[in-house]
Amino acid sequence: MSKICISCGMPMNEVSDYPGGDTSNDYCIYCARPDGSMQSFEEKKAGMIQFIIKTQGFDEKAALKLAEGNMKRLPAWKEYFS
Amino acid sequence: MPSSKRQQQKENTRKKIVKAAYQIYSQQGFTATTATIAEESGVSHGTIFVHFPSVNELLIYLIQVFGDTLAVELHALSESNSVKELLIAYLDVLAKHEAFYIRLISERSLLPEDVQMIYANILSTVAFHFNKVIEREIDKQTVKRIPVHMVFNTWIGLLHYYLLNKDFFSPETSLLERYGSELIEVFLELIRR
Repeated sequence: MSKICISCGMPMNEVSDYPGGDTSNDYCIYCARPDGSMQSFEEKKAGMIQFIIKTQGFDEKAALKLAEGNMKRLPAWKEYFS
Repeated sequence: MPSSKRQQQKENTRKKIVKAAYQIYSQQGFTATTATIAEESGVSHGTIFVHFPSVNELLIYLIQVFGDTLAVELHALSESNSVKELLIAYLDVLAKHEAFYIRLISERSLLPEDVQMIYANILSTVAFHFNKVIEREIDKQTVKRIPVHMVFNTWIGLLHYYLLNKDFFSPETSLLERYGSELIEVFLELIRR
């Protein structure tokens, strides 16, 4: 059951980490839309930027750079940078 | 030689390099050369590059392993525990990697950008878990209603100030062993309602 979210890198150790408690998903609850499907690249990027600003107070451009730097290394988004 | 044995030997060599690199970088900083790391790990200089094609990859690997340890620890706690429990677990992990972490925060701007990204990502992960716990405590009215990023930055500011000036605060012993619980107590006192 233990996986790493392909979209944000979060370890998923509990059933509650999976959207709808469905452990066949490869992405976590934070990367799911309300209907349980995985967020798009643009949705995830916007979400990450907002989250960095909210939790760390960083500048918007710096937050964008960090979000992209992070996404570049994740299986779900790698291809968007090649 | 059977391939499984060869595989095992390769794995052992990699572990030796990783261990030596971690020690050398912790002691000497990130400007330490791969020649020094090769000498410390008892392998030839070229062997390092068989396992890590570039210094960047070695650095990324080491920082990522440290970050993963921290992430797993915090993830397990942030679901239901208090901010105090989170901070204790956080400093426990940092205390085990104190010298390495001080190098990371003091030499961060000297590192290549893709390596810096790994550090930034670790910080964001800590902020993520911190935010989860702090928001819950703000809702329960056990923590003052301060913007979460300022609560986080106040904590990091305090912690990093002590770590960056370890030579003044605790030159001979572990800084976090000496001041960790005091930093936690004082910070909690500041944010509690």
